[in-house]
Amino acid sequence: MKKSLKRLVIDTATKYMYLSLVVDDKEVDSFYQIGDNDHSVTIMPSLEDLLQKHSVELKDLDEVIVGIGPGSYTGVRIGVTVGKMIAYLNNIPLYKVSSLALMASYSEHEYVLPLIDARRGNAFMAFLKQSHQNIQYIHKDVLMNINDFKEKQDKQYEVVESGKPNIEKILNSDLLEKISDIHELVPNYLQVTEAERNLHK
Amino acid sequence: MYVLGVETSCDETSVSVVKDGNIVLSNEVLSQIDIHQSYGGVVPEIASREHIKGITYVFDQAIKKANLSYEDIDLIAVTKGPGLIGSLLIGINAAKVISLNYHIPIIGVHHISGHIYANYIEHGMEFPLLALVVSGGHTELVLMKEHFSFEKLGETQDDAVGEAYDKVARILGLGYPGGPAVDKLANQGSDTFDFPRPMIHSDDYHFSFSGLKSHVINKHHNMLQRNEEINVKDFSASFQEAVTDVLVAKTIKAKENYQVKQVIVAGGVAANSGLRKKIKANITDIPVYFPIMDYCTDNAAMIASAGYFKYKKYGKSDDLYINGYSRLDLEREM
Ligand SMILES: [Zn+2]
Repeated sequence: MKKSLKRLVIDTATKYMYLSLVVDDKEVDSFYQIGDNDHSVTIMPSLEDLLQKHSVELKDLDEVIVGIGPGSYTGVRIGVTVGKMIAYLNNIPLYKVSSLALMASYSEHEYVLPLIDARRGNAFMAFLKQSHQNIQYIHKDVLMNINDFKEKQDKQYEVVESGKPNIEKILNSDLLEKISDIHELVPNYLQVTEAERNLHK
Repeated sequence: MYVLGVETSCDETSVSVVKDGNIVLSNEVLSQIDIHQSYGGVVPEIASREHIKGITYVFDQAIKKANLSYEDIDLIAVTKGPGLIGSLLIGINAAKVISLNYHIPIIGVHHISGHIYANYIEHGMEFPLLALVVSGGHTELVLMKEHFSFEKLGETQDDAVGEAYDKVARILGLGYPGGPAVDKLANQGSDTFDFPRPMIHSDDYHFSFSGLKSHVINKHHNMLQRNEEINVKDFSASFQEAVTDVLVAKTIKAKENYQVKQVIVAGGVAANSGLRKKIKANITDIPVYFPIMDYCTDNAAMIASAGYFKYKKYGKSDDLYINGYSRLDLEREM
């Protein structure tokens, strides 16, 4: 019998924590829950529960997929840390994916505008086109004024600010990027820190 | 017993393997000090970004240098606070992954208990002992009657001593971190200003450095206004003499009152040469120990050592819900 391919998906870049166990391209179980700034406390117990239910150990995993933002919501680093560590300890491939793309996959609309609020009228946004088999970028992840970005889009679209990812659609797409050196993976902040901005003034 | 220590509470990413509390098999430290220097202090968001860059690499180096594999580890000890919350959480979650991956017990450790146990690595401990904890965030006298028992006798009522050093260094234009720079200049100057020695005669074991700090800053300001030439060496020496006079006086008082067998100095300011000299010159009846330089600054070896003794004392570990805390009381540490 062919050994099944076990993949773990982790995204903590927004208020929602998403964990998913995918076996041979099918999501067998997932965890999608709003967190009160406590992804750091709950991620590992939730992950343990999810895996235990299916008699899977971290060591049994074949691949890890991690949402890397964009954004600097403190949660993003929790998921990236956990994803990096699992891939490093078990010496398995690590893939990164945009958290906006994950969010967009929730929608059923042809055109989707996923959005993570960044205050003062700005947001992290992207624009994607999808069928129920596939999903692709029209505009990559940006941080900009919400109205300016919306005005640029001439298609009918749905705005998505949360929603459980449709991971099978993502797995079919070209949106996953394999990390060549696990140690190098960092979140996609899309903006320098305030301290850096002030320093270069 | 092999303990894997993890420390990410401020601007050092550190992982270490320590056997039986004092045999250091590896102690990897990825320091961010060069990065924060240009900002005149540690920038929390930048610190978090640097920790996540280095985290898996530091683990890899530490386990390889110890010549072990993760299966050999018996306990994971990780700093749970106090410190920068975003930074703490990276070390804590990385440690939790190892715990779940290999089914190794994990224990959260107070950062200051680590600084105290940095002394155990080289010198061992004899009880009761008195620990003078001096760093950028702490100034306190702690009585230990046995392993992993901490009774705070007194602490700073305002600024930590390291904080005062950084502030004085800044007005003297010495950059960040300020302690080593002031210490170096102080050695070349003399105490000509006779700055106040706050609380030196008070009945308790508390400290206060904000008044001294303001006094020093005002003096500097007034001299600048009057166009007087400021001798930076004498200025540094005068500040350092005032600070160390107070620290040493209170330490002696506590030592005598509690009849301790040993005095240890812990934390980043334990590296200060003026403090080392003065405390050794004034306490000669019992041993006075300082950590070796590598264990004065933040490192994971000290966390592994503290975790080892905490685990031995309580015989239980934490679970995967372990959290990080920006503030955390040493006395409630158990
Ligand atoms: Zn420290």
